Amino acid sequence: MKRDETLSEDLALFAIEHASKMGAEYADARLEAHYNELITVANGKIERGIINRKRGIGVRTLVNGAWGFQSTTNLTKRGMKKAVETAFKVAKASSKHVPTPVKLAPTKAYKARYATKVKTDIEDVAFEDKIQHMLTWEKALHTSKRIVRGLIDYTGIKINKIFVNTEGANIKFDNTVVWAELKADAKQRNLIQYYHRTVGHSGGYEIFVKTHMEEVSAEIGEKAEKLLKAKQAKMDKNATVILDPDYVALLVHEIVGHPSEGDRVLGREAAWAGTTWWAGKIGETIGSEYVTVYDDPTVPGTLGFYKFDDEGVKAKRKVLIERGVLKGHMHSRETAAIFGVEPNAGMRAITFEYIPLIRMSNTFFAEGDWRFEELIQETKKGYLISCMRQPSIDDQRFNWTISAQEAYEIKNGEITTHLRDVALTSTAPKFFKSVDAATKKITIVPLPGCGKGDPMQGLYVGNGGPFLRGKATLLGVG
Amino acid sequence: MAKILTQLKEVGEKVLEIAKKKGVKEAEAYVVSNRVLTIRLVNNAVFEAKGVHDIGLGVRIINEKGLGFSSTAEFSKRALEKVVDAAIAASNARKLPFKYSFPKPKKIPKVQKVFDKKLAELPPEDGVELAYDMVENALKHNSKIVDTAGVLNLVEYHTVVLNTHGISAPNQGTFFEASLTSTTKQRAKKSEGSASTAGRNLKEFKPEEIGRESAEMAVSGLKAKKLEAGKYTVVLDHEPTLGVIGYIAAFVSPMIAKLYIPLFLDKIGKKVASEKLTVLDDPLMPGGIGSSPVDDEGVPSKKLIIIDKGILKRFVYDSFYGALEKKRTTGSALRAIFAVGISAFPGKNYNQEPIPIPRNITVKPGKWKRGEIIEDTKKGLLVRRFHYTRVTNPTRGDFTSVLRMGLYQIKNGEIQNAVLKSRLIDNILNMMKNIDAISKELVVAGSWGEYAHMPVIRTKAKVTPIT
Repeated sequence: MKRDETLSEDLALFAIEHASKMGAEYADARLEAHYNELITVANGKIERGIINRKRGIGVRTLVNGAWGFQSTTNLTKRGMKKAVETAFKVAKASSKHVPTPVKLAPTKAYKARYATKVKTDIEDVAFEDKIQHMLTWEKALHTSKRIVRGLIDYTGIKINKIFVNTEGANIKFDNTVVWAELKADAKQRNLIQYYHRTVGHSGGYEIFVKTHMEEVSAEIGEKAEKLLKAKQAKMDKNATVILDPDYVALLVHEIVGHPSEGDRVLGREAAWAGTTWWAGKIGETIGSEYVTVYDDPTVPGTLGFYKFDDEGVKAKRKVLIERGVLKGHMHSRETAAIFGVEPNAGMRAITFEYIPLIRMSNTFFAEGDWRFEELIQETKKGYLISCMRQPSIDDQRFNWTISAQEAYEIKNGEITTHLRDVALTSTAPKFFKSVDAATKKITIVPLPGCGKGDPMQGLYVGNGGPFLRGKATLLGVG
Repeated sequence: MAKILTQLKEVGEKVLEIAKKKGVKEAEAYVVSNRVLTIRLVNNAVFEAKGVHDIGLGVRIINEKGLGFSSTAEFSKRALEKVVDAAIAASNARKLPFKYSFPKPKKIPKVQKVFDKKLAELPPEDGVELAYDMVENALKHNSKIVDTAGVLNLVEYHTVVLNTHGISAPNQGTFFEASLTSTTKQRAKKSEGSASTAGRNLKEFKPEEIGRESAEMAVSGLKAKKLEAGKYTVVLDHEPTLGVIGYIAAFVSPMIAKLYIPLFLDKIGKKVASEKLTVLDDPLMPGGIGSSPVDDEGVPSKKLIIIDKGILKRFVYDSFYGALEKKRTTGSALRAIFAVGISAFPGKNYNQEPIPIPRNITVKPGKWKRGEIIEDTKKGLLVRRFHYTRVTNPTRGDFTSVLRMGLYQIKNGEIQNAVLKSRLIDNILNMMKNIDAISKELVVAGSWGEYAHMPVIRTKAKVTPIT
């Protein structure tokens, strides 16, 4: 991947040195160059075609145990000084109202340089060619006249990042992520049904060649059409449900990922996002032996891939739940110090303009020991729930309702009637305890729209797991 | 003109000059400077104070082939050349099957009370103290409050739009938004309350009211009882009203309607809501939370009637969607990343093309006082807060929100006990059709970056307890 060589590491070092001179007990800086492109095509028309570039720096200071942060796009020594001085000033002012000074869990000061594996740089594919591809994919969504709307939303992002801190860390990361969201609306008389899917990875444009996008589009169009003929789902309390990895992705995101954020566990997200029902329950059994969940940024090719977080902590697999026992949370250096654990590289910011937050990377259920065919065959009466749609979750991430794109009835070990307008509802512990089977293979899917923070930071992550069998109440939402 | 606006204008002029030299047919520059100071409060303390200073530039180009957009955060000559080149490359790729031209200059109206010098010049350390005032007031108001969390955002923005037809439209403003959630505990029982506010002038920020309201709501929740699932008459306070009415902004955007939520497509002239409901977009409202003299293409703002006594009157347009659908722009161009609602940080999204969306959506005041609506309700629920609100099925209007706090029973016109956490599930179109009372008072209400001047409304909805 091509690197923006104009980023001056010296500026970032100057910023943290200036913070030290002013008296900050700790400072870090993220100097970044961003390139992103967005293309939207709907019904044969190009609705959006955008190319953005920006460079800038975000400086974080710890003064008298309080955080201050300032970002700027003025990449001169004067700009650095001004940004650092503001970050210092607000940290100092905040420290009057910080009864317990912030402490950072120790970590090694790593020096590293790494990059996402990219075969085809997004800037090496002409913008015009990309638009032509999107038009072709969009056309392929229209598998018949019943498809009344087709939509392709493409995003490509390249980030060159230099992270330095006053402890001597110096990490350079060149990342590229791309994804395309595909959606088809099918209509027959007054009934409208839609189907969507996201194709994406950390890497270059090559994924769209490898994935045979026209075939994916055609499949989505056909799926939307087939939903017109599917039967409306009806309520079935405490039903046996087999969830496919795409549905599991949203479920794990909402009921394991978010409540595992260390800041949320500490009540620091209470204002808007909410809190966590399992605060203080580490070590307790909350689910069956089939419930093991990891958050792992080290999986290459996933949207949540990185080797070091935005505090310079080396990434590793975090065990959130192991065989039903709540084991740990995602941490910053600060929350790790509060919990008395090692930091586990959970901090990320979407750009230099934002302060890092504890975020998911790739959160997924671990594999089990079943084959998919066995799972179906050994289910007398139940439902196969397929592909995520919309979540509605309470503020403690306890009670959840998540709709699916489609479902099938399972009768005597066979997949039978096709169902539409379906959702599941349960509580997190009730569902976790009901899980009695998981398949051997896991799939991590791209989830580009994870929101957190104030101001809001929309981030791309990976989520998934195997096919899971458990119990939940099936709802017809038509 | 303020010095910063002059500087931004000069950058825009340079861009137009570069573009003309490169032989483009038309060019537009949107140049911004935007400062945001965010003070986050957690566990009764200041958690972090963070500032962002964005400068940036969005360039649109029309040439023989089509329309292109690109942005940069650098104003060096090299960066300006590069951004124009990228916009030209994008315009070569994005062919337009219809005739399109940027807007022509028109007389710009004045909008009062949208820029507060005091807010713009507030030292950041004073911002920290203002934010902490909310915490102190909550703790002072009731000793049962054990925890608070919240935020204060202070925003100052300056933008200039210029195009090769001669538009040169400066715009500036200030803005604050603040919220606080208070928590109280009694044995195993935990209860939360919250309050939020937003405004253009610092004198509208009342930390004591925020502290008191959130504390009172939290304490009242300690006596909450479980609700029976059913269809209820619901009185929605200002904030949840925005949770419903705010969606209308998205529904009447031709872009959002076409791409994402088609609920109002083909509905112009048809009844989409109760005849009691008249929805306006009023970007000329003095001190309006979304007010500005021009839109993000430099087109003068004007008041628009969106829904008149329940009948959908119009969609809103920017110049692009206007040309696409053979309509005129309604001065409704907004550069927003998130496609729903009101952008809290004007000028922030210089890296986005404009989209058509109401910029200061509001409701024509009704005849009732808030208290009268409650007195007139024999049996129902008072809903003071929404949480995690979604249109879960964009083609049908399935709507859900978690009633996390601030939920009360109303019996014989009186507010009774608080109600435990519940979920509202209904259809947003039906909720709009069932509105039978609207309050006189409009209050700036909202959350998480989306605010508008909203009344209290009464409608019907299914509510179920969350176990």
